[in-house]
Amino acid sequence: MVIKTQICNFSGFKVYPGHGSTFVRGDGKTFVFANSKCKSSFHMRRKPANLNWTYLYRRLNKKGQLEEEKKRVKRRSVKTVQKPVEGASIEVLRAKRQTQRPEVRTAARSAALKEIKARQQQARARGKNT
Amino acid sequence: MISVHTRLKVIDNSGGKEIMCIRVLGTNRKYATLGDVIIGVVKNAVPNMPVKKSDVVRAVVVRIKKTINRKNFFSVRFDDNAAVIIGSDGNPKGTRIFGPVARELRDKNFSKIASLAQEVV
Repeated sequence: MVIKTQICNFSGFKVYPGHGSTFVRGDGKTFVFANSKCKSSFHMRRKPANLNWTYLYRRLNKKGQLEEEKKRVKRRSVKTVQKPVEGASIEVLRAKRQTQRPEVRTAARSAALKEIKARQQQARARGKNT
Repeated sequence: MISVHTRLKVIDNSGGKEIMCIRVLGTNRKYATLGDVIIGVVKNAVPNMPVKKSDVVRAVVVRIKKTINRKNFFSVRFDDNAAVIIGSDGNPKGTRIFGPVARELRDKNFSKIASLAQEVV
């Protein structure tokens, strides 16, 4: 069973059901507080960045192992798998990938262009002669 | 905890600005909470509007400063005490409602007020 928790707007702690309180400001913004310490600090206009027990302070001043855990989660390599597309099996696709690389295709195109040019030149020469 | 002599902000466009509670409706009720109907007297009003100063009106409490405990084990409190002026049929006299209102209104059959509000918390 997953317990629905909220996160304290002041300290960054988890707020479990039955704990803490919510405050709704006049402009409609809601603030969740983990305990009365957070609540009264907020109403005294203390800044969480200046108090060394808040999550924000610890993050700003690089305390503890909070950052390392986050980085480890991010580094997850993505494995690519070659799959047959409908109607075309893997072998056909692989063969096409081999023959239809950019270098091979450009070489083929330039060869074809040369042939066409040569043919045109021949035709022009024939026309002049007659 | 709205008792007799509590002053509440009026958050609709009926014309009243501030009301003072002079009676909490219900049998032997001392205090009103969210969604309760009170009788109030208009202490401050906008000129040339239907609700005038010193009018006696019915109103629903929509925001309270006292912390309320909800059934989902979270507690909520607001910045101020506020009310919406209603007629004897329970419909609001104004056409607009400003600021957040509590979700408890829906349970007490004031869903029209909840739907008019900008935000239901």
